[in-house]
Amino acid sequence: MTWQLNPQDQWLWIWAIVLGAFVLVLGLIPLLQVLPPRGRRALVVGITFLAGLFFAAEFFMPVNEEQKNMLTPAIQPAQNLLQLIGALALGLGTYGLVRLHLKNVVQKRTQWGYSVVLLVSFVTMAFFSIWNTLAEKELAPKTPLLENSFKLLFDFTLVQLDAAMFSLIAFYIFSAAYRAFRIRSIEASILMFTAMVVMIGVVPLGAYISYDLMGFSAEPTPEGASFVQMLVHNLGLPKVANWILTSLNAPAQRAIEFGVGIGGLAMAIRLWLSLERGIT
Amino acid sequence: MTYQHAQDNWFSAIIIGFIALMVLLNIFRARVGAQLFIRRIPGLDAIDEAIGRSTEMGRPVTMIPGMTSFGVVAVQSLTIFKYITKQIARFATPMRLLTGDATVFAVAQEAIADAYNESGRPDLYDGDSIRFLSDRQFAFASGVAGLIQRERVAANFMFGEFYAESLIFAETGNMVGAIQVAGTISFTQVPFFVAACDYTIIGDEFYATSAYLSREPVLLGSLVGQDIAKFTFAFLALSGATLATVFGVDDSIIKLLGQPGGFDAFIQEYFGGGTP
Amino acid sequence: MQPQTIWQKMLAVDRRLLYVLLLVNIVMFLLVPVRMPASISPPVQKFYDTIEALQPGDLVMISSNWSASTLAENQPQLEAVIKHLMRKKARFSIISIEAQSRDISYRLAERVTKAEGYEYGRDWVHFGFVPNLTVAIKGMVTDLPNTIKQDVRGTRVSQIEMLKGVNSLRQYKLVIDVTPSGTVPIWISYSPKEVNIIYCPTSVMAAEAYTYLDSGQIKGMVTGAKGAQEYEQLLGIVGLASRFTNAISFSHVLIITFILLGNVAMFMNRLAERREA
Repeated sequence: MTWQLNPQDQWLWIWAIVLGAFVLVLGLIPLLQVLPPRGRRALVVGITFLAGLFFAAEFFMPVNEEQKNMLTPAIQPAQNLLQLIGALALGLGTYGLVRLHLKNVVQKRTQWGYSVVLLVSFVTMAFFSIWNTLAEKELAPKTPLLENSFKLLFDFTLVQLDAAMFSLIAFYIFSAAYRAFRIRSIEASILMFTAMVVMIGVVPLGAYISYDLMGFSAEPTPEGASFVQMLVHNLGLPKVANWILTSLNAPAQRAIEFGVGIGGLAMAIRLWLSLERGIT
Repeated sequence: MTYQHAQDNWFSAIIIGFIALMVLLNIFRARVGAQLFIRRIPGLDAIDEAIGRSTEMGRPVTMIPGMTSFGVVAVQSLTIFKYITKQIARFATPMRLLTGDATVFAVAQEAIADAYNESGRPDLYDGDSIRFLSDRQFAFASGVAGLIQRERVAANFMFGEFYAESLIFAETGNMVGAIQVAGTISFTQVPFFVAACDYTIIGDEFYATSAYLSREPVLLGSLVGQDIAKFTFAFLALSGATLATVFGVDDSIIKLLGQPGGFDAFIQEYFGGGTP
Repeated sequence: MQPQTIWQKMLAVDRRLLYVLLLVNIVMFLLVPVRMPASISPPVQKFYDTIEALQPGDLVMISSNWSASTLAENQPQLEAVIKHLMRKKARFSIISIEAQSRDISYRLAERVTKAEGYEYGRDWVHFGFVPNLTVAIKGMVTDLPNTIKQDVRGTRVSQIEMLKGVNSLRQYKLVIDVTPSGTVPIWISYSPKEVNIIYCPTSVMAAEAYTYLDSGQIKGMVTGAKGAQEYEQLLGIVGLASRFTNAISFSHVLIITFILLGNVAMFMNRLAERREA
């Protein structure tokens, strides 16, 4: 059983599917409006359940040697459909953004100058980006104006702005750490001390202090060493930092991840069975 | 072989089924009237305080789900934001919801409009308050930071999945003196939030938030089910460690607990047959 | 209330002063040509050993998902990885999940391979970018040529010399994920069990990966620029990371110094307040 189109029948099928989807959507909208609230809810609950059931069934149904079951080939088209919904939403989001800033400019709201900058940047970037994509597909001419403008806008502006924003984090972590790492309680002291050991232990300076200045052993613990020997062998900051990361940090994180995973699964079940009333 | 299907390790599939059953069973218990307890989460108690402060100062409240794409995390974030909006609606405090995901934006518009309707103040709903800024991480981060600075927000709520942009939001909020409450499942961003926010909700507390705020039986029951699942995981981890110590890590019972194909190997060794 | 004493002033220090100090510190130590040898951490050693175990001609998949923002951490990692793979005469393909990371990794690979005489199409190939990594990995496991369809230069996968007879990701020996985002759990979940995975995250993402390292789901890890320096040291090259880590080391020292100063100021201020009371 295949869910992909045969190349020979492609055009016929594409038209049939597009028209079918069009009729379905056109039919659903008035149906949702005509139905009483209870009926509307039943329709939404039913569609949600069926959509969820599809993915659950595909996971639980036994598979053949090719790791496929009856529903597996339909997974990719279903994922494509999700991407399609995402693309439509992106159009909606972009429309909302442009509309808001156009309003700001037309009504000359406070700080409307920023909106002008946004709109000009938006149109310029979109224009050259679309032109470049068309040129890559050889549907539009690749002129020096396009090449230079594209380089200026993307390589020399967008890429640099991206890098600058990420770099800000270094400065922010400095001021946040200066403010937050205060020895106010025993827990805060442990936190601060651990952070310092890891910060120094993971950089070459930690190795220099431990092995060159203090003379701890950088070699792995020898076979058959006593407990005291093992302890002395592992006192170097890089080894302590690695121990903190692997033996203290990782288990705590794993425990949190179990909780998060279970929480996500419970939420998914509630959504699937429409038991979740938050935003639905 | 990968974990793409239940058959890859039937034991894992049984565990998933067990968790689902526990959740549903306890939801049912709660619905028929069982009294369930939930411990105090200080960060959530601070939400009302932060809203009160915004109202006094006449400055907006920001709600940020970050770059969270549409899924269970986004639904949970929007549920929390809907609760906050209902509180805001009582005092007509201005709000901004800023997202980096277009699908979340579309759903958020509906959720926030619903929140105002349910509070009896549909007139306060302004579609322009919910904004999709950009789906590029740092363009979104600069957009949020700019808005927090320009509008001098008094309270900033960040709930969802966050990446490197988290500290940019939290530190900018700190600069303008906003009360900040963050809740995330992103383990790597927790240290940044702890350093720069007033309250941080970590890990599965994030999923407990809606139960805590609404005290709905369905959600409280689900939490009890989750706790039973957690105990099961702890029991399995402990048994795994003990069995691995006794039998060694290559024993089929260890593979049963955590490897694709482990179920078949286990059945083969202990019962001498293949998968039924 | 305006700060009065030196301690109060220290507690209320203008954050812009901290920013300037950090900037000066970074620029200064980037310029100072002192190189401190790194202590090789176990995850980096395992990473190195995994690539060392490759045979000439083995296929390796590099997942490169970083863009300009994390260049300082991911570029030295990718450069060193490609140099190591070329040393082992392994063949590799690169895949990205968005346009900017595709362009950056393609240009970087072209530059690095040119110097060593590695030929595009025969020794290495770039698959361009896929919008959905989960779907792409699942597809590559069952039918690689039809999932990727064409490479970054528009050549059909079936016509690329390096990929003749390659139908599935199962035929690869190794996946190397160079990324600032959470893509490694996707590779772990969906790539074939027989294919090893090694990981090059940014420093901030590394904490999350220790759990996979411990369980053996990833075989080795190079953490950010400092991990890349250790890796460069193992390879015996002086790359970007070796030049960066000095600045990182001394930035850590600066931060620790200020944390200590902040605490001293807090204690002295408390002491002064008690005396006044």
